Amino acid sequence: MTEVAQHQEMARTVPLSALFTAFLAVSLFGVGGGGGIVWARRIAVETRGWISDREFADIVSLCQFMPGPNIVGIAVCVGAKMRGTIGTMAALAGFLVIPWSLGLALGLLCLEYAHLPVLRNILGGIAATAAGLLLATGVRLLLPHRRRPAALVFAALSFGLIAFGGLPLLVVLFGLVPLR
Amino acid sequence: MTDPSAPIALTAHLALVSSISFGGFPTVLPDVRNFVVVTHGWMTNQEFANIFAMAQSIPGPNMILMMGLLGWKVWGFPGAVASAFATFGPPCTMYFTAYRLWDRFRDAPWQRIVRLGLVPVIMGLVIASGTVMARAADTSWRAIAVTIGAAAITLATRLSPMWMLLVGGALGGLGLL
Repeated sequence: MTEVAQHQEMARTVPLSALFTAFLAVSLFGVGGGGGIVWARRIAVETRGWISDREFADIVSLCQFMPGPNIVGIAVCVGAKMRGTIGTMAALAGFLVIPWSLGLALGLLCLEYAHLPVLRNILGGIAATAAGLLLATGVRLLLPHRRRPAALVFAALSFGLIAFGGLPLLVVLFGLVPLR
Repeated sequence: MTDPSAPIALTAHLALVSSISFGGFPTVLPDVRNFVVVTHGWMTNQEFANIFAMAQSIPGPNMILMMGLLGWKVWGFPGAVASAFATFGPPCTMYFTAYRLWDRFRDAPWQRIVRLGLVPVIMGLVIASGTVMARAADTSWRAIAVTIGAAAITLATRLSPMWMLLVGGALGGLGLL
């Protein structure tokens, strides 16, 4: 309960501008698929200490289970946790407004011109690094469960079915979770 | 451009598919491609592929950006904004409602059961998407080394991912991967 009390104490003191800038950073730094989880955990758990790894894993799981662009859900949930509805608005605005406008302008500009080879190479290097970051984040969030063999078996099953079995995500989600 | 009903049709369709895109927006991309390329002919297959590649490599909310670029093709700036709202609006309402319920029942026994079962499965999925990304990105043994190195450094230290991405990008830019 002390953990809960601490977070409630903090909830009163987190300014909306901090939520805005935190999720602005998550959005801008998260390159490619899955990058958002890496940065959301880095900022919300490690840098700002707003939530614990366990709560973060809860939020990610909750969002994965629902439709839509899941990383946006992390902004929605952390904003709601820290400051309620207005916190969600601040986190969502930080996540979307500036990055989306910049991205749209950049995207429209780039679509006009052909890709330069050097640009492709840089993007390739970033993609390789980003894959490693994502792997490590998944392992980190699994660590609290490492003492339960059943949890590890299910993590391994869902990993194997998606990474090597090529099964649709929905089948894996709704097939594995009720078994627990 | 296209006739005036086009942006409304696109917005309505995106709002519908975003509401059923379990497992993330990429799961409904084939449907969106079918809608804009085959059914309505608003753009060619090549244009759609270019927009996808572009959105993937720009930092920020990729899928919302991608739908914005599609909307732009159909109806300029208003189309871009409408498409973006249709992509994140319905799911965000669901996230908010679900989180509120989750938080309210934070001490309920069923929540412990859900957590113990759901979290490991989802984290297995996160690691799996890392693997899938690595298979796409790692075209040489050097790139594989970069992926493994980044994962190891993240697990062992609290070094900011930004440094690793910068080094990875620099190695790629120098033609070393």
